[in-house]
Amino acid sequence: MIERQRTIGRRTTRWQALGVLAFALLLVASACGDDDDTTATTAAPATTATTAAPGTTAAPGTTAAPATTQAPVAEGTAYKIGFVSAATGGGSSLGLPERNTAEMLAAQWTDGIVGPDGVHHDLEVIILDSESNPDAGASAVSRLITEDEVDVLVAGTLSGNSLAMAPLAEEAEIAMISMASSRRIIEDADTGEARFWIFKTPQENGHNAAVQTDYLSALGVSTVCYLFENSGFGQDTLANGQKFFGDADIEIVYSDSFERGDTEFPQTTSIQSSGCEAVVVGAIPPVSALVTSALRDFVPNVPIVQGHGNCAFAFIELAPAAVEGVPLPCGRLMVADGLPDDDPQKNLLVQYVVDYTAFTNGEPVSTFGGHAWDALQWAYEGLASLEEGLGLDDRRAGVRDHIEANITNWPGTGGVFNITPDDHLGLGFDALTFVRVENGAFAYFPPEAW
Amino acid sequence: MQRVSQRPTYKTIVSVAAAVAIVAVILALGAQKNFGPQQYGQLVVAGLGAGAIYALIALGFVMVYTVTGIINFAQGAFVMLGAMIAATIYGDASSGDAVGLVIAAIIAILATTLVGVAVERLTIFPARNADTLTLIIITVGVYIAIQGVGLVVWGTSAKAFPAFTTLDITDGTLRFWGIVLKTQTLWIWGTTALVLALLTLFLGRTLTGKALRACSVNKEAARLMGISPTRMSVFAFGLAAGMGALAGIVLAPATRPIYDMGLKLGLKGFVAAAMGGLVSSPAAVVGGLLLGLTENVAAGVTKSGLKDVFAFIVLIAVLLRKRGIFAAGTDLERP
Repeated sequence: MIERQRTIGRRTTRWQALGVLAFALLLVASACGDDDDTTATTAAPATTATTAAPGTTAAPGTTAAPATTQAPVAEGTAYKIGFVSAATGGGSSLGLPERNTAEMLAAQWTDGIVGPDGVHHDLEVIILDSESNPDAGASAVSRLITEDEVDVLVAGTLSGNSLAMAPLAEEAEIAMISMASSRRIIEDADTGEARFWIFKTPQENGHNAAVQTDYLSALGVSTVCYLFENSGFGQDTLANGQKFFGDADIEIVYSDSFERGDTEFPQTTSIQSSGCEAVVVGAIPPVSALVTSALRDFVPNVPIVQGHGNCAFAFIELAPAAVEGVPLPCGRLMVADGLPDDDPQKNLLVQYVVDYTAFTNGEPVSTFGGHAWDALQWAYEGLASLEEGLGLDDRRAGVRDHIEANITNWPGTGGVFNITPDDHLGLGFDALTFVRVENGAFAYFPPEAW
Repeated sequence: MQRVSQRPTYKTIVSVAAAVAIVAVILALGAQKNFGPQQYGQLVVAGLGAGAIYALIALGFVMVYTVTGIINFAQGAFVMLGAMIAATIYGDASSGDAVGLVIAAIIAILATTLVGVAVERLTIFPARNADTLTLIIITVGVYIAIQGVGLVVWGTSAKAFPAFTTLDITDGTLRFWGIVLKTQTLWIWGTTALVLALLTLFLGRTLTGKALRACSVNKEAARLMGISPTRMSVFAFGLAAGMGALAGIVLAPATRPIYDMGLKLGLKGFVAAAMGGLVSSPAAVVGGLLLGLTENVAAGVTKSGLKDVFAFIVLIAVLLRKRGIFAAGTDLERP
């Protein structure tokens, strides 16, 4: 009897323990799926962090050229740009192209900067790794602010990381340009006011939804189904879709989410029975490609419209037959060669593609590297506007003021920017254009062709 | 005598009533979405497709649990390793190389088996005198370590692996009565059935298999019979790793393998194994199929975003029952 009771007691304990363990794992799983624009937040071991000490591991030329190679001009204070991207960890598919771009520009800028007063300054780009981890990212930013005393920050691959870094920049009164998409980075969530010291370069889900609305209207569609991945990013695409589609009298008759690891999509059954005229998907690869594949099988006659999270070659690579012909909004960088010649961005985009491909020995271009290019160019222009003789605080303020006042009608990789004191992104809806997958590559898909 | 004969009758009535109620709820929810037989058929087929994978993973849990008493949460990592190694060796997924596919699969299974053996030798064996819960926590650590290595080796981008029938990334589809079936699903079903059959033969007919079973029945008695439980533990881990790798390889064309795919698959496999009572291979397979069916049909008639919620509701139910759903009398406590 006693023996039996003890057995039951042991058994209960074990099953309880198993339950606790399983749910602990479940928590880990759900936490991983919750970040807005990364596939997971598992940080890589810290030993792989690429801390580019000045002139050591970074690209040759991170340290500015000695002044002796310059024409005999007055030599001023050396300038420093602090750069932090998620070069390792779950966000590395975004952060690596950004770091490559930073190394490429550092190599192009070895001659330093000559200010408006003719004084030459050495320029150094200090490149650090956030490991896709908000804590590591924030400590990298504080190091840049306090120890390296940089003049301007280009920091943050992921929205969560950027949000952790922004308060540090605000407190130190230094301009920070983020490479992440969330509107919350540059606007106070409560008041809607622009954050004085913070800027960002990527397009947003609002732009995505607005361009999709134009396309759906052109198709003459009045009912759509919306599928989105169950993450902050996916939910935000849906929220924007509801807002913009509704304004154009396009009704979302059925919406449902899926997980990033899903292989079966029971949603297709509901799409079939809901009778919607088009399906809009808000997700990133690889699952976005799998959803497209499933939709092609189950509802082959319903047009699919994908979202701007797929503007990277991985989207095509993972399901080439299924995504062929699928239209989606992307920045113009993905279709640089196909743009009309009078496009204000065309020349710089083509140049970026050539430079990037050469610098990385043939890596495919993604929009993320472009976000870093835009951000670093703003920082560079801000520094180039400074007169010699300013203290650190004045230099930091000067860069910020220059970006806010002078980035107007400014063509970059992400669009034509018009920064104002109220809008620290400064992109219109036309920053995204429709592209279509044709013969396994992104092709320009102008409104005339809809 | 009377009590014994009455209880099952009472239980049967409750079970039937519950089943009728569940079917009624499903039909009522489905009616709101205009579901017809075709939609239900599709949900069932897709559910059994996902379920067969859970079943295959569950077999690995059962193998390790019966022999060692450990819930091996690293099983999901073996699934990931199988898929990732195979995809890496195969390379270009559209090359149409059938021989290369078989070679890649074999190498991936062998390599993962070695990893399984190494995991046992390096982490479980040194701690063999610790209590079971400690060992289970070690396997969680092993999972996290393997996933971390996977991240460093393969990065965060997904891989592509060709479907077995078409030898291309694009899988073939069969259509009958409006229901779509991927040809890879047939491979998954076939593999699960084959593995279950071979496992049954192996455990029932061979000396090693019988030794494994002896360890699971009574470790001390097995030791007295000259069977080394530690060697059997290595064997179980190796076999479980190999089966996990195989699951990953047949699943790979249906998904796009990525370094963090193992966590959720491992958990679902654990739910399936627990549904089957953790000690029986056929029950684990039925548990896997039932789990896939449950989550897919439930998600289909409600919200697909709730798919994982249904899977883990099943887990809670099983854990609260403290035994599998079939083997009502099976005592899960191991000797």
